[in-house]
Amino acid sequence: MSSRLLEVSGLTTRFETRSGALNAVEDVSFSVSEGEIVGLVGESGSGKSVTGFSILGLIDPPGRIVSGSVKLNGRELVGLSHADLRSVRGREIAMVFQDPSATLNPVLTIGTQMRLAIAAHESMSKAAATHRCIDVLTIVGIPDAARRIEAYPHQFSGGMRQRVAIAIALLNRPRLIICDEPTTALDVSIQAQILTEMKSLAARLGTAMIWISHDLATVSSVASRLLVMYAGRLIETGPIAAVLRQPHHPYTRGLLNSLPGFAKPGQDLVQIPGAMPSLVNLPVGCSFRPRCTHAQDDCTLLPAFATDGARAFRCHHPLDLPVPASEARP
Amino acid sequence: MLGFVIQRVLQALVVMLVISALVFMGVYAVGNPIDVLISPDATQIIREQTIRAYGLDQPLWKQYLDFLARLLSGNFGRSFVYNMPVLDLIFSRLPATIELTLAAVFGATLLGVPLGIYAGYRPDSPISKTIMAVSILGFSVPTFWIGLVLIFTFAVTLGWLPAGNRGETATLFGVEWSFVTWNGLTHLFLPALNLSLFKFAMMVRLARAGTRETMLTDTVKFARAAGESEWTILSRHVLRLIAIPIVTVFGLELGSTLAFAVVTETIFSWPGVGKLIIDSIATLDRPVMVAYLMLVAFFFIMINLTVDIAYAALDPRLRTRRAS
Repeated sequence: MSSRLLEVSGLTTRFETRSGALNAVEDVSFSVSEGEIVGLVGESGSGKSVTGFSILGLIDPPGRIVSGSVKLNGRELVGLSHADLRSVRGREIAMVFQDPSATLNPVLTIGTQMRLAIAAHESMSKAAATHRCIDVLTIVGIPDAARRIEAYPHQFSGGMRQRVAIAIALLNRPRLIICDEPTTALDVSIQAQILTEMKSLAARLGTAMIWISHDLATVSSVASRLLVMYAGRLIETGPIAAVLRQPHHPYTRGLLNSLPGFAKPGQDLVQIPGAMPSLVNLPVGCSFRPRCTHAQDDCTLLPAFATDGARAFRCHHPLDLPVPASEARP
Repeated sequence: MLGFVIQRVLQALVVMLVISALVFMGVYAVGNPIDVLISPDATQIIREQTIRAYGLDQPLWKQYLDFLARLLSGNFGRSFVYNMPVLDLIFSRLPATIELTLAAVFGATLLGVPLGIYAGYRPDSPISKTIMAVSILGFSVPTFWIGLVLIFTFAVTLGWLPAGNRGETATLFGVEWSFVTWNGLTHLFLPALNLSLFKFAMMVRLARAGTRETMLTDTVKFARAAGESEWTILSRHVLRLIAIPIVTVFGLELGSTLAFAVVTETIFSWPGVGKLIIDSIATLDRPVMVAYLMLVAFFFIMINLTVDIAYAALDPRLRTRRAS
């Protein structure tokens, strides 16, 4: 395995709300290697986006990172000054958001917006900046970039807009891009295109990615490793093929069963009973316990994050563990 | 764009025609100017001569058509009271009002918008709370009272600034202006301040509300994620995104101040058109009232046209919609 680019450990992000404090992200630890694509999946409110924003230090009050560390190439990012964090954002870690029509500024040309993103980190002549913008726009597949650069966001289609947003993320050649559901707002046909292209881009440029999504199917087509979040905690991680073939956590199993692509033809899709608990009022112990068909009495104790080689899970009664043979399920 | 301007100019002509009719009818219905113009003990012959001299013996529609014809030839008639051409009368007063209005509206905007953006950006800081408190004062305290307090404080008690009149004027582009001389500037300061307070309060609130809203959008988050500085975000992204309501209110305020700065002009004895129209209404000086109202309508139409063109410049999405 190549060197560790990003190392997140024990990350906890808390929001002080009127109904009480809640940990949107609790004790999350994972790492990303150079050039690796990691998928981070979970339902809405599971804390996956907050994890992404926490890495960049972009948590607005009333939220804040209360503990844990985020290390980029060994350099601690939690607690950095505003100015130091700003020099990391965009240049070392960039981010792409879900809805490009909301992220791009509608009243500035994309050229202006791209030049602002360059100017945030480097001073160069307008001509040189424009030249780089055109290069990057061409890389992400915007035809006729030299002419289109003076166009406004609304003059692009949804897919093209997202390519522009991706181009902005790539402008300063970051080593890690956090993609927060970048294909969710797009047409299915465009989704597949962008997905494939981003995957090959990452491979070509050696950029690592954290691909945040609620859609296991999407993530499984780009990522090499999978992180599953539930109610603010990581509950299962591992190489994506292994996790999908043989999930250990009942929640991951449930997610897989509810996917059309993984179900047997002719069978109804299986739903996970119940809904995700409110973060203000989490059940004691394993958060998934009330919905879990395998729950037993000891689940009222929070299971530790058990590591098993490349895989890890947070469950007292994991499914399909290969060893020992006597405990294997039929 | 050109098609849009032509369309708007045609609309403006129709609006002006309708307004001319409304103004003429409205003003005609108010009292009998003859009673004001000549003494009650004048003979019947003098009375009828005067009526004929001003064309008041003609039927209403005839008077209106005559009036329209005169308007089109640029002849707004003579003032009953000043006995001079109405246009000359108004244009001799207009520069005073224009410089007062521009000073007040621009001052309020150039100061109010940045302070409003700051108050929206840091809503909890003590400075922001002070700014908001001042803006509440500007909203709720009546203009005439503030005017009196300003005169009392700075002119009477402290003696720093003059209490009224335009002071020395100098000629620029063939018109007399106060702001080009130091003495004129000191005369301009208090009335402009008085007039700008309400507008300042409004600009602060508009800019603050827009900024608070915009700061929560993904556009700002995305710019932050790209590492752009807070200054860049405020000056390049937020300012442009909140510009449209500000420009709208700016235009409206410019028009209404130009037309109705009456209170401030009266308190500070500022010889502008606001005072002129109030005097004309009191003396039923019809040609002045009509010409003045037509002029105000014209100002509003021109300002609105400019604001509409500014929209297109500020928001590219409006440009394409119009082009198609």
